[in-house]
Amino acid sequence: MIDLALGAPLDRHPATVLRDWIDWNGHMNVGYYVVAFDKATDTLCQQFGCGWEYTRDEIGMTFVLEAHVTYDREVKEGDGLRITTQILDHDAKRIHYIHMMYHATEGYLAATNELMLMNIDYKTRRSAPWPDFAMERIEKLAAAHAALPRPAQAGRLIGIKKK
Amino acid sequence: MLQSLPYELPELVTRAPLDTHRSTVVPEWVDWNGHMNVAFYVTAFDQASGAFMRNMGLGRRYVDGKLGMTFVLETHVTYDRELKEGAPLRFTTQLLARDAKKVHLFHEMYHAEQGYLASTNETIVMNIDYETRRSGPWPVPVTERLDAIWETHKVLPKPAKAGRVMGLARR
Repeated sequence: MIDLALGAPLDRHPATVLRDWIDWNGHMNVGYYVVAFDKATDTLCQQFGCGWEYTRDEIGMTFVLEAHVTYDREVKEGDGLRITTQILDHDAKRIHYIHMMYHATEGYLAATNELMLMNIDYKTRRSAPWPDFAMERIEKLAAAHAALPRPAQAGRLIGIKKK
Repeated sequence: MLQSLPYELPELVTRAPLDTHRSTVVPEWVDWNGHMNVAFYVTAFDQASGAFMRNMGLGRRYVDGKLGMTFVLETHVTYDRELKEGAPLRFTTQLLARDAKKVHLFHEMYHAEQGYLASTNETIVMNIDYETRRSGPWPVPVTERLDAIWETHKVLPKPAKAGRVMGLARR
């Protein structure tokens, strides 16, 4: 397993906006923000041993239960991105966390993605507790992230404000 | 504000919820877990938003004619059940609210043959001025259509999965 990164938030996920991610409005399409964020989820899961190999070796899977995205600013083809991840909460089977996507050189916040992820048993495809090796690492990561302020974008309710 | 649109608008569908959009899970949408990946649920829902926008009079011609664009501001997805490659999808869309430049939509995605609810998506879409890439009011004919759509949608009950805030419920 890789070395645990206990810097808070987790800041190990650079990415680039690919040509295929651009739509007819000339910017990254809403679906591909989530593609980019889902890859950052893989980076998080690798931290506690539940990345690609976890599924390849038929040990388990992780399924997203719920997602909330705020689209804060446009990004264009070729733009460098930096995605950070903060664990907000966790229990025996789930993790609640938020990704922040920044433009890597200009520094602005482009989008956020709050997620609920659940551990899944490979055979039954049903929820199951995190394996011990994962839980141990999740607890260390969560402890490292506990001192971070809660981002304003977490826990949002969608609506149009009445004027 | 645009007073008119320089193309013919499609016949207005005021049936509530809107239920015209269909889709299929294509191979590119499937991930290493052998099911539709989370991101492509959002892509599929974005296409359902596109169907709602076309009904409002805002399709590809709106963008290609450099009249305006529509941007998604925020989106909330519940992943209720898995979908496999080739699964046929049926969508319903309810207008929850609207103002001078935004709509608040609620989509439900169903397996078209087995009938189960696969996912829901609550989303806010805003009208954008083509030149400035900033928000602007809907064109007049769009507002008129939106008013007609609202008349039939406003009586629908609020969906149980609308207005969710994420968190781990403590037992």
